[in-house]
Amino acid sequence: MRKRSGRAERLFVLGVVFALAAGEARAAEAKVKTLAAGLSYDYFSRTVVWKGDTASSKILANMVSARADFGLGKDLVFSLSAGLSLTDFKGLSFGSLPISLQFDGAPLKGLALGAEVAAPFMKFGDFEISATGRVVLSFGMSKTWPLEGFAVEGEAQGRPNWMEISVGPRFAYLLFGRVVPYVEVSARWLRAVFRMTEILDELDGVEKKQVNGDISFGVSLGADATVSDRLAVKAKAGIMPFAGGVDGLISFGLLYRF
Amino acid sequence: MKTPFKRSLKVFAALLVILFFGLGTSDGGRVRQNKRIGRISRRPARDLRVERPVVRRRTPRYASDRVLVRFRPRVHRSYAEGLLRSYGFPSVRRIPAIGVYSVRTAPGVSVTETLAMLRRNADVEQARPDYRTRLADIPNDQYFAMFQYNLRNPGGILDLGDDIQLQAKANADIKASAAWDAVKGDPEVVIAVCDTGVDMTHPDLAAKIVSAGHDFANDDDDATDDHWHGTHVAGIAAADTDNSTGIAGVAWKCRILPVKVTDATGDGYYSWVIDGIIWATDEGADVINISLGGDFDDPFLEDACKYAHDHGVVVVASAGNDTAYINYPAAYDSYVLAVAATDYSDEVADFSSFGPEVDVAAPGVYILGPAPQWYVGIGDPPYLFGSGTSMAAPHVSGMAALIMSLKPELKPAEVMKVIRYTADDVNRAAYPGRDDHAGYGRINMQRALVPYILK
Repeated sequence: MRKRSGRAERLFVLGVVFALAAGEARAAEAKVKTLAAGLSYDYFSRTVVWKGDTASSKILANMVSARADFGLGKDLVFSLSAGLSLTDFKGLSFGSLPISLQFDGAPLKGLALGAEVAAPFMKFGDFEISATGRVVLSFGMSKTWPLEGFAVEGEAQGRPNWMEISVGPRFAYLLFGRVVPYVEVSARWLRAVFRMTEILDELDGVEKKQVNGDISFGVSLGADATVSDRLAVKAKAGIMPFAGGVDGLISFGLLYRF
Repeated sequence: MKTPFKRSLKVFAALLVILFFGLGTSDGGRVRQNKRIGRISRRPARDLRVERPVVRRRTPRYASDRVLVRFRPRVHRSYAEGLLRSYGFPSVRRIPAIGVYSVRTAPGVSVTETLAMLRRNADVEQARPDYRTRLADIPNDQYFAMFQYNLRNPGGILDLGDDIQLQAKANADIKASAAWDAVKGDPEVVIAVCDTGVDMTHPDLAAKIVSAGHDFANDDDDATDDHWHGTHVAGIAAADTDNSTGIAGVAWKCRILPVKVTDATGDGYYSWVIDGIIWATDEGADVINISLGGDFDDPFLEDACKYAHDHGVVVVASAGNDTAYINYPAAYDSYVLAVAATDYSDEVADFSSFGPEVDVAAPGVYILGPAPQWYVGIGDPPYLFGSGTSMAAPHVSGMAALIMSLKPELKPAEVMKVIRYTADDVNRAAYPGRDDHAGYGRINMQRALVPYILK
């Protein structure tokens, strides 16, 4: 695996920080003008190579969150979300522990926190281009598995955390009235850490698996639909192609405008 | 209103096409067309596209078009089959002996969806993917399948000739073939055989010998075997394997360092053994096998074992064949793994010495191993069956070498614990848990080397 320059990763983080900071600054200028709250569901799959591994494996993440969208004027929208994540790490192996472990269990629960900003910056004709940025963090809950069949009692304990940052432009078409379809192109940066502890009587070990800044590029089709004066639906589906396969993402939200 | 709307729609559609076909491929150049994200994305995109194709992707763990289903006992067969037909499965095959159906999934419906659908039905007891199997690595060595029950025991009659027929118990073995799927050994990992020397011209050993070794009995640099014992022990641990010849060794690819510490009669002195242990350690051995021992506790012998242990060497020794107290150096619990012997039915051998120092057991009855041609006689195959804890110990040495090949970061004390904790408690009926006869039990290479699945 070639070592990747950290420059692009730093640029990502800077980009998102900049976008969020810009949102904050504009929020300070213009007070919250609209507020919407609701539920959202997000899913993504990422094919990654964990540091030190030779084979790729998949991370499948599902998140259900409560979400609040703050309209800050000039069509700038800043969102916060908090909820539950279920992340599947099937096939991930921990080969440096005294007894190698391979994860093949149910998805692991976690606390998901997210922040998102969409800031329109250009309009031409019936189109609008926005800059979007999103950060999602999942703080995994610790899970313990008994290690059975050994001559002594033992257990393994794992805790996964991950963070995904995505930035990119959104091209929206405004002339459909209540439905605003868009195409979004995003660069998605993922960092994941899965810490596994193994204890077998007097034998113990800790292994930390890491994905340090895996970057994928995706394109999504989505739409923001106003169902009524109060209800809005947001939906998005996309793909993240890579040589030999395609990862996917789905997002769906139902919001009530106050 | 109509015309601009149509024009906009066309532009939007064109934009869609450009974006999808422009960015949805792995062409990094296309990404650069979009100047806004170009600076951010260019280099990582190129890195990823180069990197991922070289990665070996995991093969699917189960059939992509088939699942296995069992209905609850109360469900009548005709009803069950009717139900499966109603799902639209293209083919349904019953496995009568266990009442399980092998079902081909409907076109366009994934295994996951099919399983979810079946599991929702209250009449279904279990619906499972049809998991893949693979052949465990079976070496092509001439005598492996026929005589090496110690590595893979199919059970049945073990016919050793000369009217020796033994009733073997299936799976009374060290699970070597399953473990070889995970690791066959690193040639850089060396097992020093402190014994009567090694026949370095033996066809099953010649390719595995690191050097001519050292002879502490005659004080020269030629550890050629003038007995048979050391050759036999070396072959059990690491005979040349999958070479269509003779036997398979436990550590397929690890190498052997001959160290001669006895004379031609098989007797030696503690000083020779001490010298041998220290010399092998300094020569870079990773494992030292000592299939011999004495009756007397000796601090100098213990110090030699400690020296090896402290220098990252796993020391393995035979417990003894006296049905009595454990030999030295096997009895040095902190630094040496003491190995008892079991047989073709996982019974502890009646000759195997016992005591609290016994760590584990390994097969040590009628073990086939190489022997010098001059010893067996011209015209006979250069192999013989040997029994004793001497034959048990090299199984453990081979296993230790495989563990060190797979996990070089483990310290000797950790390797020793892995070997102990993964053993099968074969005499649990009489002595549940760790005991003085088989220690933690007969070693199980599969449990130590194949990843444990967290469900």
